[in-house]
Amino acid sequence: MSALIRIAHLIASEKTPHQDSEGITTSSWIWPEKAELIYGVAASLIIFAMLFKFAGPAIKKGMSARTARIQKELDDAAGDKASAQTEAIGIRQAKGDIGAERDRLLADAAVQAGAMLTDGRGRLETEVAEMKARALADIETARGRSADELRGEIARLSSTAAERAVAESIDDSTHQDLIEAFIQKVGASS
Amino acid sequence: MSNARIEGYARALFEIARAEGSLDEVEDELFRFARSYEGSEALRTALTDDMIPAGKRQAIVEDLLGGKATSTTTQLVSMVVGSGRGRELPAIIDQLVARASSAKNLEVAEVRSAVALTSDQQTRLTAALANATGKQVNLKVVVDPSVLGGIVATVGDTVIDGSVRTRLDQLKARL
Repeated sequence: MSALIRIAHLIASEKTPHQDSEGITTSSWIWPEKAELIYGVAASLIIFAMLFKFAGPAIKKGMSARTARIQKELDDAAGDKASAQTEAIGIRQAKGDIGAERDRLLADAAVQAGAMLTDGRGRLETEVAEMKARALADIETARGRSADELRGEIARLSSTAAERAVAESIDDSTHQDLIEAFIQKVGASS
Repeated sequence: MSNARIEGYARALFEIARAEGSLDEVEDELFRFARSYEGSEALRTALTDDMIPAGKRQAIVEDLLGGKATSTTTQLVSMVVGSGRGRELPAIIDQLVARASSAKNLEVAEVRSAVALTSDQQTRLTAALANATGKQVNLKVVVDPSVLGGIVATVGDTVIDGSVRTRLDQLKARL
C-alpha cells in the first residue's frame, strides 16, 4: 500500500521541473516533452504500420509454417504413437501366438511321441517274436547238426579204434593165415 | 614225357637187362624200386629236383640200391635219373615190366601185402591167380603196410581184394 502511495506521489509531482546531471532542464523528471512525445508516438505508429504491412505477412507466413510444422510434428508423434500402439498390440498378439504355437508344437510332439512309442513297441514285439523263432530254429538246426557231428565223430573214433585194435591184433601168424586164406580162396575160384 | 619217349626208355632198359641175362631179376628189382619211389615223397623230390646236379642224384641212387640190387638195376635207374627223367621212372619201369611179361606171354599181377610172401606162397599165389583169371601171370609183390593184413591182387583190370584195410573201410562206410 505504501508503494502505491509513493507511486501516486511521484506521478503527482511530474510537473515539477527537473534538471539532470548534465545540466539540462526538463518539465518532468519522467515524462518527455510534448512534442517529443507526439513525434515519438507518430514514429512508433509509422514503424508499427510498416511492420504490419511489410513484415506482417512474412511473420504470419512463418508463424503459419511453424504452426504447420509443429502440427505436423504433433501429427507424426500421434502417428508414431498409434504405430507403436499397433506394434505393441502386434507384439502382444505375436507373443500370444508364440505361446499358442509352442503349445501346439508340444501337443504335436506328445502325439508323435505316443505314436512312435506305440509303433516302436509293436515293432519291438514283432522283432522279439522273430528272433525267438529264429533262435528256436537255430537251436533245432544246431541240435540236428550236433547229433550228425556226434555220430560222425563216433564213427571216426570207432573206425580209428577198430583199425588200431586190428593192426595190433594181427601178428605174423594171423598174417600168414590171411595170406593162406586168400590164396585158397583165389585158387578155388575160376 | 610222351608215350613214345617212355616206350623208348622202357625198350632200352629191357634190351640192356636182357642182354645182361638178368631180365627177370632186374625187372623185379625195378618194379619194387618204382613202388618205393611212388610211396616216398622225399625220394621223388631228391631224384627230380633240377637244382640238384645230375651226378648228385645218381649218387643218391647208387647209395640206395648199392648192395641191395644188381649192378644192372642200379645203373639203369642211375641212367634214367641222370638223364633228367626221374619223374617218368615209374611209368618207364611199368612199361618195361609189361614188355617183359608180354615177351613171356604173361600178364603182370601186382600183389600188395602187409608182409613179404615166401617163395612157396608166391608160387601158389601165381597158380591161384592163373586159375582165377585164366591167364599166366608175372607176379610182382609189393610190401605195403597200409594193407594191414591179407592181399590185394591186380591183374589187368581185375582186382581181387582180400585186405583187412578194405574190410575196415567197408566197416567205416557202414558206420
